[in-house]
Amino acid sequence: MTLAHLHLLLNHVPTIGTAIAIALLILTVVRKHDALRRVSLELFCMIALFTIPAYLSGIGTEVRLREMTGISPILVSRHHDAALQSSFLMLITGTFAWFGLWQFRRAGRQTLFNTAVVLLLSLGTMGLMARAASMGGEIRHPEILADLIAEGEVPLDETGAPIDVTAEPGAQDGTALDDGAGVAAVPDPGMFTAAGIAKLVNERVWLWPAMETLHFIGLWLLFGIVLLVHLRMLGLMQQTSFAALHRLLPWAALGLLLNTITGMGFIIANPADYLSWPFYTKIGLLVLAGISLIYFTVFDGPWSVGAGSKVPMRVQAMAATTIALWVGVMYFGRMLPFLGMAF
Amino acid sequence: MEFLQQLEQNGFLVWVREGGSLWGYPTILFLHTLGLATVAGMNAGINLRLLGFAPRVPIAPLTRFYPVIWAAFGVTAASGVTLLAADATTKLASPVFYVKMAFIVLALVVLQMVRKRVLQDPLVDTRPLPGAAKTLALVSLFFWIAATTAGRLMAYIGPVSGLE
Repeated sequence: MTLAHLHLLLNHVPTIGTAIAIALLILTVVRKHDALRRVSLELFCMIALFTIPAYLSGIGTEVRLREMTGISPILVSRHHDAALQSSFLMLITGTFAWFGLWQFRRAGRQTLFNTAVVLLLSLGTMGLMARAASMGGEIRHPEILADLIAEGEVPLDETGAPIDVTAEPGAQDGTALDDGAGVAAVPDPGMFTAAGIAKLVNERVWLWPAMETLHFIGLWLLFGIVLLVHLRMLGLMQQTSFAALHRLLPWAALGLLLNTITGMGFIIANPADYLSWPFYTKIGLLVLAGISLIYFTVFDGPWSVGAGSKVPMRVQAMAATTIALWVGVMYFGRMLPFLGMAF
Repeated sequence: MEFLQQLEQNGFLVWVREGGSLWGYPTILFLHTLGLATVAGMNAGINLRLLGFAPRVPIAPLTRFYPVIWAAFGVTAASGVTLLAADATTKLASPVFYVKMAFIVLALVVLQMVRKRVLQDPLVDTRPLPGAAKTLALVSLFFWIAATTAGRLMAYIGPVSGLE
């Protein structure tokens, strides 16, 4: 199994999953079925988590594809940009869906505002995902490039050859576009495209350190809240009920979102540096830790732990496992420059 | 300066820096990250409680988390001193390093002030929090964010060695 296989497999989670979750959300709102509505929100959260490896396996596949002949880099770039936009919107949708679940647990109901936002965002996500999926399918069909040129969707240089704005995906210092002729012919890739983001990050010298700093702040915010909540489950500060600590979980979710977005920025700017087993391990542990965050947000086991009450064994086991998972995410992240000889 | 150069030649520090072992520089760096995440993160959680989030969490028992925070600070400090000693001539010449140290000292002072003035106040859970407690919490968050920022910038501003 290669990354391409994994990519083709994981793709189906955000594309088909979003459609199913939307249908379930609409049905359960109409039929006023709260339990199933929570399930639809849980689905959105899970889909958002699996969108991370779906997107990243695509980057790994892209780096390989660009080394091959007979593959149009333009079709690859179009697919990447569409996937980037849809994945970003999916992450935002998942965050709002998570917040809806948190509201359900805290107040017994989801606010109308949250329902509306999740519905609108998820409809947008579904549209963008469908677009990304169809562009992904086109990659193996060179005849489509001819149609795109005919429709004026692809810019041409003076010799009539299509221009690929991301011709140097490995360019890490931003100089690749500056040497040689035809610099002026390279169009601006646009703000919300992989090439545009890579250009921005590699050109603004302050942006990378700023993103790293935010990544560290997000890391300690997330990990600190995780420790407070889970150490309570493991016996520290038993005077506090889980429900009281539950109110801090949005800060952990905020840290997670911050780090997912800054993390995507690092990878888009330097994709080749993140194609290593420690990175894949980190992402695998991240998805598992994310599932645990959903567990502690919605399940009855932790929620029923009152002030001074004993914690069930399985909740304690989940708490200990969760701490270990986040430590693992940090370990493999920090070890990226040293393990597997990335960078 | 001569002392620092001699220090960097210490056998253990040479191994940490140049040994190429996963247990040397990389592991010590990871322990530093793990420690800082625990210290700054749990501290942030306590501060957020003082700022009014999670209002049903009793404040006095939050002191139970202090031993964990200080143990984690021990790990951060020990790994930090090792990383510093292994690269002393470069890091001690960096102005950003002193900025970082200043913010950490300030943050630790505030950490203890929060314990003494707020958490250990016998009436803390019986009346609304005084405004001063919220100010301390905000100042504390600011100091940890500033210390983290300065720490990260040490790899970019001023003298930078090949070590990350």
